[in-house]
Amino acid sequence: MAASEGGSSAADIAVIPAQRLESASGVMNADAQEEASELESSETAPRPIAPTSKKPGNNNGGVETAEEATEPAEPDINELCRDMFEKMAIFLQGELTATCEDYKLLENMNKLTSLKYMEMKDISINISRNLQDLNQKYASLQPYLDQINQIEEQVTALEQAAYKLDTYSKKLEAKFKKLEKR
Amino acid sequence: MAVPEAQARFGQSVKGLLSEKVGSCSGDVIALTRQVLKGSRSQELLGQAARNMVLQEDAILHSEDSLRKMSIITTHLQYQQEAIQKNVEHSRNLQDQLRHSLK
Repeated sequence: MAASEGGSSAADIAVIPAQRLESASGVMNADAQEEASELESSETAPRPIAPTSKKPGNNNGGVETAEEATEPAEPDINELCRDMFEKMAIFLQGELTATCEDYKLLENMNKLTSLKYMEMKDISINISRNLQDLNQKYASLQPYLDQINQIEEQVTALEQAAYKLDTYSKKLEAKFKKLEKR
Repeated sequence: MAVPEAQARFGQSVKGLLSEKVGSCSGDVIALTRQVLKGSRSQELLGQAARNMVLQEDAILHSEDSLRKMSIITTHLQYQQEAIQKNVEHSRNLQDQLRHSLK
């Protein structure tokens, strides 16, 4: 219903009864010949913009058929179509660009992290080299450190001996005084 | 299937049908693109990867800080070792002097 109301002059296949066909057949043939000649002459020239309603032409088995009347294309339809496809391409490109941007973000993050790890690697290489040198120098100092340990042990033993001697001398002094009193 | 489609097309102009078809095709293309992207789960996986990396960054910074402190400590140890070496050199001279004095 709505389509027929708004459709106007388009898409209507008319079936004309056979009675009208006979009267119109003569006119149809003359018109068809005129149309053919017009078509030949106007192939290169631009056609005027007007609703083209093809006249009924076929006459098969007493039933006359007519072709549908079509509306002329809008003058800017090509531009509109191009615009539509361009915008659709931009939209699809945008959908895919989102994923690409995520990948780029991850790539940048990975690059920065790898740079950090390279710096840390350099630092750790320096530390290991320095510690190796320190270990070697500590190994060269080891005899002196052993001597220091020996000296400390000997001093400790000497201190113990001195305490014992001090204690013994005090006992001896006490005994001497006791004997002297007698 | 063909009958309802024919009934739907009845009464509509060619232009209308064409525009409907173009619209449905473009909608299908868009839906297909979205489905392909959704099916690949790229958004989820990449988002999860980014979140994990952000969580790891704290540990990375802490490790870097520790390494820098370790390098400073190593430098201080080197200074101490050089000072000890100098003192050991002095102690050799002292030993010689002591030996001479004890004689």
